[in-house]
Amino acid sequence: MALIEVVGLQQKYGEREILKDINLSISKGEVFALIGPTGAGKTTLLRLLDLLDIPTTGKIYFNGTDVAHSGKARLEARRKMAFVLQKPVVFNMSVYDNIICGLKWRQMKSDSCQHKVKDILEMVDLTTYKNRNARTLSGGEAQRVAIARAIVTEPEVLLLDEPTANLDPASALKIEELIVHIINLHNTTLIMSTHDMSQGQRLAHRIGVLINGKVLHAGSPREVFNSPRTREVAAFIGAENIISGVIKTKDGDIVTVETANKMIEAVSSYAVGEAVYTCIRPEEITISLVKPSSSARNSFNGKITRVITTGSLSRVEVDCGFSLTALITKRSAEELNLATDKEVYLTFKATGVHLIKKS
Amino acid sequence: MKKITSLLIALVMLVSSVGAMAGCDNEEASAVSPLEPQERLRVATTTSLYDTGLWGYLEPMFEEEYDVELDIIYAGTGAALEYGRRGDVDVITVHDKARELQFIADGDGIERVPFAYNYYLIVGPEADPAGIAGMSPEEAFTVLMTTGSGQFVSRGDESGTHGMEKRIWANAGYEYTAVQEAGDWYIEAGKGMGPTLLMASEKQAYTLTDVGTYLSYKGDLDLVPIVDEGDVLLNVYSAIAINPELHSDTRSEMADNLINFLTSPDIQELIGEYGVEEYGLQLFIPCAGAEPGA
Amino acid sequence: MNEIWQGFLKAVELIISLDPEVMEIAGRSLRISVTSALLASTICIPLGSTIHFYNFRGKRILINLIQTFFSVPTVCIGLFVFVIFSRAGPLGELNILFTPTAMVIGQMILITPVLLGLTISALSGVDKAISDTARSLGASNLQTMLAIIREARYAMMATVIMGFGRAISEVGCALMVGGNIRGFTRIITTAISLETSKGELELSIALGIILLTLALIINTILNRIQQR
Repeated sequence: MALIEVVGLQQKYGEREILKDINLSISKGEVFALIGPTGAGKTTLLRLLDLLDIPTTGKIYFNGTDVAHSGKARLEARRKMAFVLQKPVVFNMSVYDNIICGLKWRQMKSDSCQHKVKDILEMVDLTTYKNRNARTLSGGEAQRVAIARAIVTEPEVLLLDEPTANLDPASALKIEELIVHIINLHNTTLIMSTHDMSQGQRLAHRIGVLINGKVLHAGSPREVFNSPRTREVAAFIGAENIISGVIKTKDGDIVTVETANKMIEAVSSYAVGEAVYTCIRPEEITISLVKPSSSARNSFNGKITRVITTGSLSRVEVDCGFSLTALITKRSAEELNLATDKEVYLTFKATGVHLIKKS
Repeated sequence: MKKITSLLIALVMLVSSVGAMAGCDNEEASAVSPLEPQERLRVATTTSLYDTGLWGYLEPMFEEEYDVELDIIYAGTGAALEYGRRGDVDVITVHDKARELQFIADGDGIERVPFAYNYYLIVGPEADPAGIAGMSPEEAFTVLMTTGSGQFVSRGDESGTHGMEKRIWANAGYEYTAVQEAGDWYIEAGKGMGPTLLMASEKQAYTLTDVGTYLSYKGDLDLVPIVDEGDVLLNVYSAIAINPELHSDTRSEMADNLINFLTSPDIQELIGEYGVEEYGLQLFIPCAGAEPGA
Repeated sequence: MNEIWQGFLKAVELIISLDPEVMEIAGRSLRISVTSALLASTICIPLGSTIHFYNFRGKRILINLIQTFFSVPTVCIGLFVFVIFSRAGPLGELNILFTPTAMVIGQMILITPVLLGLTISALSGVDKAISDTARSLGASNLQTMLAIIREARYAMMATVIMGFGRAISEVGCALMVGGNIRGFTRIITTAISLETSKGELELSIALGIILLTLALIINTILNRIQQR
């Protein structure tokens, strides 16, 4: 049974619909990353999951109990969770007092709290700040206080809203390590939102892509990044070479997609006549000056429209009747002497083409 | 710093309690409880009896003799009558015969008991700009009204003195409303006797006052008697007990005690002697319950 | 101008000699104002908090009304209390007119708008995220409200100081409902009023200085508490 189950969740603020029909299932011990553009509704969803707000419609089940609308049940469920806000605020009191708040509110005795707090302080490396007023800390330190405050209550579910968004790379890394350490300690279920897709890929068991208030794809990182379910997801995760076409033929698993009078071969289970988008990773396209004799089934020629070199990589945009972008090393680009208007051949395998249904 | 806090708190408590103890000397039992163990008698008094210090003089004597707390409330005759009507006080001491009789006729008071009298006089600047010295009160007022050559400060507060002033205007043949509109020379102070005298002194104006307050006034007054002869200037102070039938918790027994006290031979003698040594004149002439013939 | 210097000297003289009458009215001023400030705070801080935390129709109008009453003249409150507690009035049976009790009640009514208004204002100044943070940590509604009040404690103390200040400095109400009875309901402000009207300017100034000194001491204490 899923730990948290969300059915038909909708959230409106006045006339604006922030979340539309969210359905999610999160298992115990899972790390679920919520990614999406700003304003997609990530914070709103996290707030609903933490039972801070009441959804306009829909159900939230926590351990099988519907807690979306009942006051007492919400408080009980909320006490099994902890939420760290995107910009965490600390209470105007010492670090120690801040951390002990959650425990006090659950009516835990002072003395049993003491060593819990001590351990947590060590974990987040704030022992020396124990008696300082939390308001005097830096942003990063305040965030550690907020995290410590959240985890000292040993929640079953930890919700983090963009935990490393405001931090420099070194601090971000430290916080990530801390998070991993924490969840491994108690097998805590973690739901976090993040802008950083690589972070999502690194830490999460599953990723949910939230765009415009809907979860368009929820699946393992590999699934989401290699086989995005919709065009918007693909665009968001940075997939490229999204080309519109129609399936012309099918032979077992191999289909051909007709686009701009050319045929692209792909591996798919879709039927003939299906309108689709292709997704091809730029790094899977090879460039040559002559027609290659490889086993790759897709080979197109065209003129280079642009070459953009950043660092050690070059993006080469080619007009083959449709636009394709390849990603090669700067070195290779130089060796081939690539420049605008040059004629080149682009080649990629059928297995490198992912198809998305147009719906 | 914590030491300073404790020190200050201690200081505050000290002041409060010293204050309370000093208050005990001044007869106060508990500050805030409405259920005082000691009986309290409330008297609303006209300002001249207060400003002369007569009440301050008599108060401790009465309190000792009858083992009661006397609450003297400084009002004007008008306010005192209103407190009496509402039953907020138990006795009133005022000096406006006409209104007192009305008060009793209305059933608010039991009996009018005169206990002392003196005279009003018109005082003013030594220079006497209106030239009214030695005239009768009515003549003097007429001159002021017609020539406007001197300023006059009126009590303007419905007090006994104010009532007397209005009577003089009436005797002189003027409507009081006309007097109020007569010009800038007529100033309505809206204050008690003492403060009014101060204002008149400040402005070097004329004013009507009772002799007691004028003589005993602690402030420096730059005023001299201008008009002090006239039948109308008789000023009789009376004590009236509030009708207990109208207000059930009026302390009528103690009120009677007070009135008896004021008219008792010993106290009457003291009233008559009050201020003589200091001012060389009697401030109040005792009249033991009988209406003085003018 | 000379009066002010003379007044200052007289104040020092009265304090050092522990003049009994001055001590008595100073003590009474303190007792009455501290009592009214404490009692009113005990009522108004929870009440103000309730108004702030709950949404109801007419809430804005209520707050507007409260702020309007910041400016109510003290003598009007005095009149109001007088009429109610006068023997001829509805609560006359209690027999508390012209007693310190009535003065405490009058001052409590007087400072209630200020205490309510500033409490609401203090709580409004607290970051909304505090409420979210507390709730996410498992605080119940009551615990959350207490957390917010705790966050606003500095401003709350300023509210109490303000209330006390208005109470100890007022004349109109104390005069009307206390009657300025010597030895019983006379406080520093009503004594100043009386002495000024008698022309005793030095004494009045001295009393004024003593009042300010008392207020300074009280405020210093409250400030120390506020810094904690």
